[in-house]
Amino acid sequence: MKQALQLPLPLPTSSTLQPLLALHEATTRVPGREFGPFSLTLNAGERVAILGPSGAGKSTLLRLLAGESLAHGGQVLWRGEPLGALSARMLARQRAVLPQQHGVAFGLPVELVVALGRLSFEPDPGQSAIVAEALLAACASHLTGRRFDTLSGGEQARAQLARVMAQLWQARGGLLLVDEPLAALDPGLQLALLDALADFTRERSLALVAVLHDINHALAGFDRLWLVQNGQVIADLPAGRAALPALEALFGIELRCVELAPGRIAVLAQRARSGKTAAQAGTQARAQPLSA
Amino acid sequence: MDARMLPAATTPPHQPIRTQQLHHLHPPQPLQPPHPPRRPGLGSWWQRAPGAVLSVAGLAALLLAVQVGAMPVAASDWWAWADDGPASGGAYVLWELRLPRALLAAAVGAALGLAGALAQGLFRNPLADPGLLGVTSGAVCAAALVLTVFAAAAATLPPAWRMWVLPAAAFSGALTVCLGLDRLARWLTPGSVSGLLLTGLALNALAMAVVGLCTYLATDDQLRSLSFWTLGSVAGASWTVVSVLAAAVAAALWQGRQLAQALNALALGEAAAAHVGVDVKALRWRLIVTVALLCGLAVAWCGLIGFIGLMAPHLVRGASGADQRRVLPLAAAAGAVLLLLADTAARTVAIPAEVPVGIFTALIGAPMFLALLRGMARRNGGHA
Repeated sequence: MKQALQLPLPLPTSSTLQPLLALHEATTRVPGREFGPFSLTLNAGERVAILGPSGAGKSTLLRLLAGESLAHGGQVLWRGEPLGALSARMLARQRAVLPQQHGVAFGLPVELVVALGRLSFEPDPGQSAIVAEALLAACASHLTGRRFDTLSGGEQARAQLARVMAQLWQARGGLLLVDEPLAALDPGLQLALLDALADFTRERSLALVAVLHDINHALAGFDRLWLVQNGQVIADLPAGRAALPALEALFGIELRCVELAPGRIAVLAQRARSGKTAAQAGTQARAQPLSA
Repeated sequence: MDARMLPAATTPPHQPIRTQQLHHLHPPQPLQPPHPPRRPGLGSWWQRAPGAVLSVAGLAALLLAVQVGAMPVAASDWWAWADDGPASGGAYVLWELRLPRALLAAAVGAALGLAGALAQGLFRNPLADPGLLGVTSGAVCAAALVLTVFAAAAATLPPAWRMWVLPAAAFSGALTVCLGLDRLARWLTPGSVSGLLLTGLALNALAMAVVGLCTYLATDDQLRSLSFWTLGSVAGASWTVVSVLAAAVAAALWQGRQLAQALNALALGEAAAAHVGVDVKALRWRLIVTVALLCGLAVAWCGLIGFIGLMAPHLVRGASGADQRRVLPLAAAAGAVLLLLADTAARTVAIPAEVPVGIFTALIGAPMFLALLRGMARRNGGHA
């Protein structure tokens, strides 16, 4: 109770003691499958990529972090408070979620979709400027004036990205959760938006958790990797060269490493020749080609 | 990890972190369609100022409804309300028959149009008309039960309460179907649009089967009042009914004003709406109760009048876009105009006989539903 009263203005000491988001033995279920238990902590300003094969439970883990699916067992804590006990409005001012699927009913105009990110704030005259800047930051300014349901998949993704950016435009030390934000985009835009996301979160000291498909995106812009397999987080590693063996085992592939600059690497994926890497790591990852 | 990591509440507002040059951007114009039609005439006025067009059309329709009929109404009859004593002739027709009836038609139309827009926002689907989903049938079902099976029980109530028995029953019937629909459709077919409509179809059939059963059990007198409910008519107008409905519509419009932006957020999906700060559960409750109240009152006094809840929001979205802040009031206005015109036609097309207005709205509304379906299919196919 005492903590709940302090929440709007936590002392710096308490925010250093409490992780931003913590899972304690949290489990969740979809019909016929159980996920977890997950025990993870996310500190303020950290940037984590969730990687894993299709169907491993990446999006389910993200939904658990977002509070969309409730923990059947264990706890999900936001700054030490159970996530389910916080009001949607208070949470929305510090945390935004970009879902994987983004259907919008009725064909709302793009600016309105972006402006809905500001819903939890009092209406103010600066709002339309924030909306315009968020559209610019998400490379979506040219979509102004169009109906959301007439946009292509990649354009919809950018408009939705602008919406979550507008939501956290004035936030400090909050959290952005994104589920495959780059999936429907061409390579140039993928890099541009990855940079935009990195700049956006760094300028605001926001923590970022992203479900990704591309290992190179994860290595380029993130501090840590959570590797998900069969509904479990099998590894929590710093992003870098040391993570490559675990990634090879996870996807059942071989990775060839290229050094782009000191401390900056990219990898090239190949089919594993004999499944040797998977056997070494003692996991049952099936060899499957990595989609481009 | 230090004092810089403070929550959003502590940072000053109006201070974007990265200021970029924005002068090349056009100021946002969210309500303008991307390509406003050039051709002059009513169509272009409708696109530009739907509110003004609806006001003018509403006044014209009201005047038409009052003037047209078997008995002529003279200008002097308009001043007759100031006279003492019982009115006669044209003045009586004007003040006791036509004006309350026209206003009731407008109020019921507004209630149905607004209920349609709210239900469509709630279920995230432009086809979610309370009539099609069985909400109004639920209201009729409860009213029919009160009229026949529980007629004896209703007769024991004090006379002052009897007027409110049917509205209360219709409201609870509409509320039951609305809640049942919400729960059932989520449980049976989560997230599916066709699942929602099919669940509504089943509830509609169930409610109408109970109405059929009541018809079977009814006496001759009860049968006559039951057929009034199933066909739909605004002939039972009185100033009391008009004022109650008008108050309900005003209250619902005020609710709608509060909920409009949250309804817009609901169009993003329930999870996304919650993430931008909408208390989705409370929103659903308020919407369900409002829709049930509007439908229940409309049905209690006017019976089943279909398709207004489908047509009015659809017309309005075509003109003003899908922003619920504009759709909700305009849908109420469009519903009022539509039902007023339909009732005037129903009343005058076969003088001295009168066609139930529900038949008229269904004749216009059903083809419109098909056109709407085609438009949605085209959009989903990526052509429109």
